Amino acid sequence: MYYPEPISKLIDSFTKLPGIGPKTAVRLAFFVLEMEEDDVLEFGKSLVNAKRELTHCSVCGQITDQDPCSICQDEARDNSLICVVQDPKDVIAMEKMKEFSGKYHVLHGAISPMDGIGPEDINVPSLLNRLKDEGVEELILATNPNIEGEATAMYISRLVKPSGIRITRLAHGLPMGGDLEYADEVTLSKAMEGRREL
Amino acid sequence: MYIKDIKLRSFRNYERIQLEFDDKVNVIIGENAQGKTNLMEAIYLLAFTKSHRTPRDKELIQWDEEYAKIEGSIYKRNRRFPLEIILSKKGKKAKLNHLEQKRLSDYIGALNVVMFAPEDLNLVKGSPQVRRRFIDMEIGQIQPAYIYHLGQYQKVLKQRNHLLKDLQRHRRTDKTMLYVLTDQLIEHASTLLERRFKFLKLLRNWAGPIHESISRQLEQLEVLYDASVEVSEAMDLETISNRYQEKFSKIEDKEIDRGTTLAGPHRDDLIFHVNGKDVQTYGSQGQQRTTALSLKLAEIELIHSEVGEYPILLLDDVLSELDDFRQSHLLHTIQGKVQTFVSTTSIDGIEHHVLKEAEIFRVENGTIEIQK
Repeated sequence: MYYPEPISKLIDSFTKLPGIGPKTAVRLAFFVLEMEEDDVLEFGKSLVNAKRELTHCSVCGQITDQDPCSICQDEARDNSLICVVQDPKDVIAMEKMKEFSGKYHVLHGAISPMDGIGPEDINVPSLLNRLKDEGVEELILATNPNIEGEATAMYISRLVKPSGIRITRLAHGLPMGGDLEYADEVTLSKAMEGRREL
Repeated sequence: MYIKDIKLRSFRNYERIQLEFDDKVNVIIGENAQGKTNLMEAIYLLAFTKSHRTPRDKELIQWDEEYAKIEGSIYKRNRRFPLEIILSKKGKKAKLNHLEQKRLSDYIGALNVVMFAPEDLNLVKGSPQVRRRFIDMEIGQIQPAYIYHLGQYQKVLKQRNHLLKDLQRHRRTDKTMLYVLTDQLIEHASTLLERRFKFLKLLRNWAGPIHESISRQLEQLEVLYDASVEVSEAMDLETISNRYQEKFSKIEDKEIDRGTTLAGPHRDDLIFHVNGKDVQTYGSQGQQRTTALSLKLAEIELIHSEVGEYPILLLDDVLSELDDFRQSHLLHTIQGKVQTFVSTTSIDGIEHHVLKEAEIFRVENGTIEIQK
């Protein structure tokens, strides 16, 4: 017994999503059959719109439905401060903090020679262009604290340093609200290195 | 510490077995190819999450099975710690106290094991890789953060080698990224080197006197470190890192020409001298064996002094390779304090009271029985 074509196509589409295997795909497809028609239409429309109406901001690279994005257009924000992140989701995380009033630059990845990704394959050239004419005073490097993220930060720092722009890196250390005893040794030794005077 | 019991499921030629061990000496007797070493391997795996024989976990899973499982209870400081390793085609899981440990460095060190197998007689004669593996494994099990740094180092090394290949083939010309990766490599290389030096200092303290005693006061053992950069063991982290900087700027063209990284802990070696002569080149087979044995016995004492508990000793088919004097020296050292597993085809000819009190297990074609 085979599934009728409409549902097997739906199952197929679900399997294309990350983290969804064949079993989950079948479950989701049958769930869709039980949903209200309006909800299904809404769902379908959102999928198409997300793809069609979103582009990358021509200034910072963030995903947006207007170009330049709302953050780049916001005149209340500080133009002299740019926070460099790897991923569009990182901007959302930073914005939730509601304490950063500068602008962003989204790299869309990190430099990784073994994956064939060089500086020109991510948004490094556009960052360098931006630094030329925007009156930027500080660049905050907020790439991920792993080998590739660190290397990317060090690379950008080497290129930008001669221009005299202040370059900072996010601190490594203990998570807030946690217990010291549960921190792993490496995090703990980084936190020790980055300790500061009270 | 000691291992109280072990359960194997679909591991190598064992479909399902469960064993309880003596906390002193356990002798595993069987013909060749019956599963003696597989049992030793299971205990080794419980400590290191890796086999000492193969890098391919798939080989460890019984034919036609989806996964293999090893469970064991460890006792240290009178407390029980359940350990569990699950190997499947998708990957492996390591559980400590029933909780999965995502980082290798959070798991390794729970159980300390020293293995002495025929391959270890190669420690002196074999390739530098064997000696680097020895030093890395031993530091790793007493200092789990070392494993983290080693892992980071290997990742940077891989990135750097790829970039050097790109530069060699003119696929890229900008060297800025090379300097970034060199800095990153040096950071981890210096840490590894500093920790290796500290470990060697401890190892020498134990290995020297042990070797003297096994050789009946005839031989002096020296352990030297052959680094791919000009350093001395008294240097601090910053000086070591400066030496690496100098070295890498000197060999830059050569590295691009060859397309690979030419200095760093992955190219270093250990050298053993007996009475001032290099044992690898000039030592007799007996001297090479004594050296390997001294190092293994030193490890046992070193772990005891660093961790506060004796490790478990696995003697896989080596007892018969040692002469009477070395045998009794070995058995005397472990007596009453180190839980030991001895695998052998026969105990005839090994006359030592330690073995008389041992628990005897007979292995035959994937089944194990206790001999009363």
